[in-house]
Amino acid sequence: MTLMSTCSAARLLGLTSIWALAWVACNNNPYPPTEAGEKVLYSSFREAPRSLDPAVAYDTGAHAITGSVYDTLLEYHYLKRPYELIPGLATDLPTQRPGQAGYTVYGFSLRPGMVYENDPAFSLGMPGRMTREIVSADVAFELCRLADPAVNSPVVEPFSNIQGFQEFGQALTQRREEDLAFSNLPVHEQYAALGGIEGVKSVGDHGLEVSVRSDYPQIQYWFAMPFTSPVPWEAIAFYDGEEGRPRFADHPIASGPYRLQHYDRQSRMVLEANPNWYGAVHPEWAAPGAVYPSQGAPGDLEAGLLAPEWAGKPLPFIDRVEFRREKEAIPYFNKFLQGYYDAAGVIKESFDQVIDEGGLSADMEEMGIRLEKGVEPTIFYIGFNLDDDTVGRPGGERARRLRQAMSLVIDSEEYTRIFTNGRGIPAQSPLPPGLFGYDEAYANPYRSVDLERARELMVEADYPQGIDPNTGKPLTLSFDTYDTSAQGLLQYRFFTDAWRQLGIDVKVEATNYNQFQEKVRNGAYQIFMWGWVADYPDPENFLFLLWSDLARSKSGGPNTANFMNDRFDDLYLSMKSRPNGAEREAEIKEMREILEVERPWIELFHREDYALFQGWLENVKPFGMSFPMTKYRDLDPAERTSLRKDWNRPVVWPIWVGLVLLIALIVPGVMTFMRERQ
Amino acid sequence: MGAYVIRRLSYGAVVVFGVLFLLFILFFAVTSPDDIARKALGERVPPAVVEQWKVNHGYDKPLFPAPGHWADNMLVEHYRRMLTFDFGRSDADDTPILERIRKGMGPSLALTIPLFVLSVLVAIPLSLLVAFFRETYIDRAGVILAVLAMSVSVLLYIIGAQYLVGKVLHWFPISGFDSDPRVIVRFLALPIMIGVANGLGGDIRFYRTVFLEESNTDYVRTARAKGCGEIRIMSRHVFRNSLIPLLTRIVVAIPFLFTGSLLLESFFGIPGLGAITVDAIQGNDFSVLRTMVYIGSLLFVVGQILTDLSYALVDPRVRLE
Repeated sequence: MTLMSTCSAARLLGLTSIWALAWVACNNNPYPPTEAGEKVLYSSFREAPRSLDPAVAYDTGAHAITGSVYDTLLEYHYLKRPYELIPGLATDLPTQRPGQAGYTVYGFSLRPGMVYENDPAFSLGMPGRMTREIVSADVAFELCRLADPAVNSPVVEPFSNIQGFQEFGQALTQRREEDLAFSNLPVHEQYAALGGIEGVKSVGDHGLEVSVRSDYPQIQYWFAMPFTSPVPWEAIAFYDGEEGRPRFADHPIASGPYRLQHYDRQSRMVLEANPNWYGAVHPEWAAPGAVYPSQGAPGDLEAGLLAPEWAGKPLPFIDRVEFRREKEAIPYFNKFLQGYYDAAGVIKESFDQVIDEGGLSADMEEMGIRLEKGVEPTIFYIGFNLDDDTVGRPGGERARRLRQAMSLVIDSEEYTRIFTNGRGIPAQSPLPPGLFGYDEAYANPYRSVDLERARELMVEADYPQGIDPNTGKPLTLSFDTYDTSAQGLLQYRFFTDAWRQLGIDVKVEATNYNQFQEKVRNGAYQIFMWGWVADYPDPENFLFLLWSDLARSKSGGPNTANFMNDRFDDLYLSMKSRPNGAEREAEIKEMREILEVERPWIELFHREDYALFQGWLENVKPFGMSFPMTKYRDLDPAERTSLRKDWNRPVVWPIWVGLVLLIALIVPGVMTFMRERQ
Repeated sequence: MGAYVIRRLSYGAVVVFGVLFLLFILFFAVTSPDDIARKALGERVPPAVVEQWKVNHGYDKPLFPAPGHWADNMLVEHYRRMLTFDFGRSDADDTPILERIRKGMGPSLALTIPLFVLSVLVAIPLSLLVAFFRETYIDRAGVILAVLAMSVSVLLYIIGAQYLVGKVLHWFPISGFDSDPRVIVRFLALPIMIGVANGLGGDIRFYRTVFLEESNTDYVRTARAKGCGEIRIMSRHVFRNSLIPLLTRIVVAIPFLFTGSLLLESFFGIPGLGAITVDAIQGNDFSVLRTMVYIGSLLFVVGQILTDLSYALVDPRVRLE
């Protein structure tokens, strides 16, 4: 072979390599090509969960993971409405029998033979062991963790209805303070040394009895949440963040349909089907939580949700769930439109492109995208920290009038129109539509804009024209938020501008979400905006947000406004254990009247969710509450691959145009240069 | 040479010590540990919570050496930690900072190394080309385009390219990152293109000036008079003799490849050190920010030393003594 031909071959090889690389690179598919035929659900997250510890995680982002990874004794029927509990890890719904005075004993029976995902942590119990059976003691252990003050669970209050729950926590703290040797023991040994919670008893390996105050029947709903998932003691002992091991908060051990396969807080989280899940190991059980339902709500059959290819079939249908970090909304939504996310909300920047007169635009329909909408069991509100000297209880009547005045200038309708494209119903009280106690005819007198009355109230509050007589300057308040984006700050500007009409100077203090949560935990705030998505469908689950026992400053509970009102508390306690009926309705009405005057919140809106789903995603029924129902969903990867190809064909003509332009620019220049040289 | 290196390293050590002192003043004296705690915990947090937080993060000691605290104070602790690369934990989420840096370095280097190499490989030949065609409309068009390119904000490049290249032309993903070797090129192509385009204007202007200055020297005129070809003159003589100013610009940039690109990483969702820095700024995460500034200064000093050393390598007339 001559030198010339060798050079030509090398040149050809080089050119071919460059073109091959360009061909591989010139593709906007963010996923490896081998995934094309796989049943992978693509989703996103904005900020990583602070904790995946089921005893602590209490936000939607964390529940997207914990809800799929941790299975519960009970769960909700996917299709039936009103919501209905079904057995999960338990063989049946709990039995109930009277316990000690004022207590009811709930009896659960776990299915024998269920095991955790494989994990080296289990070698702690027995060298070389990679998994073990899920036993009722693991649920009892998790309940002890909820009671443990060191765990700092946000749901201590509802579980305090369990007999001996609070006493266990107190005894634990006391013993740890008094006995250094005890405090150095692994937590499971500490719990065992104290004998566990009085009202929680394991009966054999699979029986569990929980003694709960009789006036709190809502406890059953909590057994459908990850807080009560079985947690093996080995996981807590092994994943302690020492010697290179992750913290348990970052390393869940699955009992559910999925396991956390990859967890990178900065960019990517991956769930994959858990081969050890009881539904996968024992499909013959056809357990209610492990097969797709054969019955649903009216309309489900017509909507194709009970089609024979799914009804009664073992779950899950989807093999893997990919969560990619998307800090910015527009790139995220554009990727959805390119087919690279399977579901998305409608972002306000693209609202007009997507929604046309309340329905899908023709372009979206043509793409096969589906729109599902509905008012969610939610409430979004501006809250006042009632522990604060200026806006809270210490300010007395003056502060109350200040809150009333501030409430009268916030226009919820305008707010939702501007910032949520109208996706929300102006809220008059904490209760959203669809819940018992919601009164469509009720109009809160402090929730319609009345600037004149607001100014009168400011005078009555001794802040004429917003001037604080103590300083002679405008009253200055702070608004704490976790949204640091320019877009987020614009929203808060809407409120501060409204309050400026009263002469009040409200400064926005923005930090990230975790720091904001930290501030709230420490009572370091005056005004905040918060939302609540129902844990379970009962008015109690909204009104408890204002019960004094749950005040953030008192118990670390979710009453972030630290609202404390004796009459409200009495009514709440009476209402919560009552069945729905006229008496309960009257109590709810009176509670609403108290809130109307006291104004711990400025109720903004109940969110109306517009969710978009790609045509290839099957079995989609919006659930409303923050439970990931991933195991029930299915998708058609072939259709997805085909449509993605259609939607994302690279447009290459600009390359040729560019090349022609480049040649047209250079060649005359070279010719001119050569001519001049000659 | 050895003595020179030792002397430069000593100067570098003095600079690093000075930077550390400034960092200490900025992050602990101007912004007191109480301020840092309150930024993390909230303005109205009870004092007991602030104190506990300070203890947990090692911010509870006296700021400066004092009787009884000659060794046990924050200044000494600050130097000890930074010089031993024991950066501690994030003020915001308690994750170990060193681990975050270790994780972030890969994605950062995956972006910045090709970006740097391509920038050099594209800018120098283009500058030579423009200098070669000096005084023609190619030269003038090149200069105008370079000035235009320098005038456009990098944000416009990013948003425009994400829309045009990612959304309309479908050439590359709009944003995101995956270290999977099968797809990593896709994610990096667009930010690299933007980075190259963004830096090209300034680079071409600089290199062109250097090349033109060199091509007007006597020895080039002599070579031309002797009948030496223009391409040979540019590549053999002009380029070689322009290496010192070129190196000054290039070598000093190399250490900063480790710190990533703030804007590109942030907008494209690349989990590198630049994105970590932006997250730290947005989240008032002082410990991470302090660490990143320190690493930046350390790399700057290293860059300066490398640049000086490189002079001797490319120009035998330079003696490092």
